Amino acid sequence: MNTEIAAGGRPFVHEHSAHCESGVTSALFRDKGLEISEPMIFGIGSGIFFGHLPFIKMVGLPISTFRSQPGSVFRKAAKRIGGKFVTKRFRNPQKGMDELKRVLKSGQIVGLTTNIYWLSYFPNRFRFQFNGHNIIALRETETGFRVSDPILEYPVDCLTDDMERARFAHGPLQPHGFMYYPESIQPNPDLRTACVKGIKDTCNMMLKIPLPIFGIRGMRFLAKRIIKSQDKLGFNEACRQLGNIVRMQEEVGTGGAGFRFMYAAFLQETAELFGSEDLARLSQEMTAIGDVWREFAVVSARIIKQRGKAEDNFSKAGGLMLICADREEALFRELHIIVRKLKA
Amino acid sequence: MKVNEVPQDDITYYEGKKRACYAINDKGKYVIVTSTGWNAEEVFNGLAVAELAANLEETRKAVLKGLKSPLAYHMERRQLIPTILAKTAGIATFRVKRHLRPGIFNKLKPSVLERYAQALAVSMEELKTVPK
Repeated sequence: MNTEIAAGGRPFVHEHSAHCESGVTSALFRDKGLEISEPMIFGIGSGIFFGHLPFIKMVGLPISTFRSQPGSVFRKAAKRIGGKFVTKRFRNPQKGMDELKRVLKSGQIVGLTTNIYWLSYFPNRFRFQFNGHNIIALRETETGFRVSDPILEYPVDCLTDDMERARFAHGPLQPHGFMYYPESIQPNPDLRTACVKGIKDTCNMMLKIPLPIFGIRGMRFLAKRIIKSQDKLGFNEACRQLGNIVRMQEEVGTGGAGFRFMYAAFLQETAELFGSEDLARLSQEMTAIGDVWREFAVVSARIIKQRGKAEDNFSKAGGLMLICADREEALFRELHIIVRKLKA
Repeated sequence: MKVNEVPQDDITYYEGKKRACYAINDKGKYVIVTSTGWNAEEVFNGLAVAELAANLEETRKAVLKGLKSPLAYHMERRQLIPTILAKTAGIATFRVKRHLRPGIFNKLKPSVLERYAQALAVSMEELKTVPK
């Protein structure tokens, strides 16, 4: 916890978070007086998800995602909690930068979507061309901007040039200088209803999308691919693909295991909100599932380093993902039933 | 994951920074714990970084052999591909691809080079050469 002076001379408390988008959204709400945690935003915004897109490639490798589409957590949480939000995109970078400065001068901190490669305040090995990284601009400084980047422990300085490049980078999911902030928040929002909506949406996304690459079906689809990958692609290529999956899990955003633990934290908070022992129990199950995802990462690392025993092979890795699929399916089916009985 | 299970593997490339993780404390409640990194994570990051470096090295050698222009090197260095560089520099994609050929690149006007330098965040001098 550390307090800084932000736009309009008002104090801002930087909270270290696990997920950039959830961290920014919860900080923007807190700035307007609503005390709400990152896991609550993540759950209300239906952030947990799974998808494997074999046809979309970054650096020649298919994309796996352990969270919902970048931008949707903010959008859904904002809608469900209620209030007036401003969102803007720009064709002209100069206009985008001028508007950012204008809003900051008016005393409002601003959420921004950026390309993490161009943010030089990050250690080098964090800097990949990825267009979904969210940060908050706190105020203008002599060299650029004071930034609260939720995945770092403390606020940092960001150079103007970096900020412009990061906001207006091109490529998949390009941000177009996307900026967002609440104008006002509903006083005393109905968080229970928001949680119910968030949970129902998540259950639908995980269980009911009629395509084999999303949700629980997506996990099974990918798991089977992993099991066959060494025979189909050879050891080296199979390792490359497996490595990319686990990178998406552990590094980008915050990782599949990280997202699972964060969702378990959400279920724990919601259990308290509703006084529900069922939700508390599901929170514990989600924690256990997160641990299986981590085991998947550990086994995958051993395969790649070839340091494991013979049984650390692609079959085992894929098998662990199938276990995750089975347990998440059971969890979301039960959650779907429980949520309909909750008194909002 | 319990608080005492949160990895603290002091990963060098974190450069002293820490990540936030959700873990369960001894009262069974979720709390945020900072982590100095995880060995397993380093394997995957390392794989990706090594591959990018290896490809970049191939390109660097190709430039020194006169098979590709320095533009190809600097584009790859910034993890970009021709279509994205094209939009960033404001130059048509088919032209960017032509400019990856050394013969063509060497004849480019300073105004075009300036656009690439700006798009790739390198100086004009840097743009025309690659490290030996």
